[in-house]
Amino acid sequence: MSTPLARFSLALIAFVIGLALVAQFRSQARPTELTSLPVAELSTRIQTLSDANGQLRTALAEQRSLLAEYQAAGAQGSSALDVSREELRRIRAYSGLAPVEGQGIILRVSGALDAIAVNDLVNELRNAGAEALAVDETRLTARSVVVEGARTLEIDGAPIGRTFTLGAIGDPDGLVAALQRPGGIVAQLEQFVSATITITQTDTLRLPATEADLVPEAATPVE
Amino acid sequence: MTGARAAPGRIRIRSGWILSMALALGALGFVAAAQWNSEFQRTTYTTSAQQTLAEQAVALEEEQELLQAQLAGVEAELASIQAASEGSQTALAAVNEELAETRLAGGLTAVTGPGVVIEIADSRRVLPVGENPANYIVLADDLRDLVAALWHAGAEAIAINGERLVATTSIYGVGSSVLVNTAFLSPPFRLEAVGAGQLDERFRAEPAYLGRVAQRIDAFDLEFAMVSSTELSLPAFIGSTGLRWAVPVEGSEE
Repeated sequence: MSTPLARFSLALIAFVIGLALVAQFRSQARPTELTSLPVAELSTRIQTLSDANGQLRTALAEQRSLLAEYQAAGAQGSSALDVSREELRRIRAYSGLAPVEGQGIILRVSGALDAIAVNDLVNELRNAGAEALAVDETRLTARSVVVEGARTLEIDGAPIGRTFTLGAIGDPDGLVAALQRPGGIVAQLEQFVSATITITQTDTLRLPATEADLVPEAATPVE
Repeated sequence: MTGARAAPGRIRIRSGWILSMALALGALGFVAAAQWNSEFQRTTYTTSAQQTLAEQAVALEEEQELLQAQLAGVEAELASIQAASEGSQTALAAVNEELAETRLAGGLTAVTGPGVVIEIADSRRVLPVGENPANYIVLADDLRDLVAALWHAGAEAIAINGERLVATTSIYGVGSSVLVNTAFLSPPFRLEAVGAGQLDERFRAEPAYLGRVAQRIDAFDLEFAMVSSTELSLPAFIGSTGLRWAVPVEGSEE
């Protein structure tokens, strides 16, 4: 065996090792192809996508109906004014700029929750379909986050005590089911931070408008 | 004599070569075995059921893109009709102007402005034996922490991989994916935030950033980068803004 041949062989083997290492390295990453996901995860994904597409179809039908109303009104008459007023009313409510009422649930929470725990609770309610939320008397908007203040937790500048209420308007059964599923957020908070959480369904929950100024300074609409 | 001198030399070459080959082949064998094991785990369970379900998921995602495009088109038509009256002094113009401002405040309008772009992705580090793989991937918790820090630092608009965040947005872990609004997102995650002033500096000082996600970035080598930009463009939220359960309180629009 000559020395150049030995060197060539070693180089070749090193190359193969390099390729194998790259392949091995990639295999540590999360699965990126759908076919590599577990059946249970795929089933959840399909259910979630089906529900979401159903909501999008409804939204599309509603907006097309709104468009038809505008077109019928010619965009200038009193009917167009009514359409715009109704749309404004809806968007203000959706964004948290107007008070709303409806069915929902009230959580009374007690314990040493940190900001992450309260934000997780809010996130869980949003994921379960809550349409409007308030912590005590503070209506939540897209920008509302719970933070650690100087002495207490705060949300939009308002203090949150060790005991607080979290109101959510939405399907009461769906919201409760999401919160109380085994291993869900309520079980976790009760187990890990000794929180006490009571949930009450209500037919008449009223949530205030936000007091925060949501008019952007830096962000301007794209023409 | 020549052959007698050459023989010991050949022996030395062979010894070194054999040792190197043995080491290299040993390493190759180790890596190949590890790779074979991980391939085995991945391919063994790719069943026909998974294939079928994956195809359904892809079809639904394509349908979602189509629905969003159609909805965006109708929204644009509506905005155009509403904007047409804004130049006049009529009651309709005033309402439509307020409607445009409200949509802007609520994240329902595409915006542009200065801000920051954050990219975060799974760690490239090879998973150490016995370690939890979840430590080395970006979790929904990480994105929620980043978003919380951005909002509290003064962001006025945020999008994750093109999904604009609004009042009803949740960031939810579903298996190995993250669901934002109605979209399943995969890494790398790109967070774009529009905000005034030194948004990046305020963000880096935020406890919501420093408290958990920054430590995970350091501990597990999650890929992370942030740059400031003088002009970002964020899309509008495209999705359902209908209220099924919440009813605006009468008189609140005044």
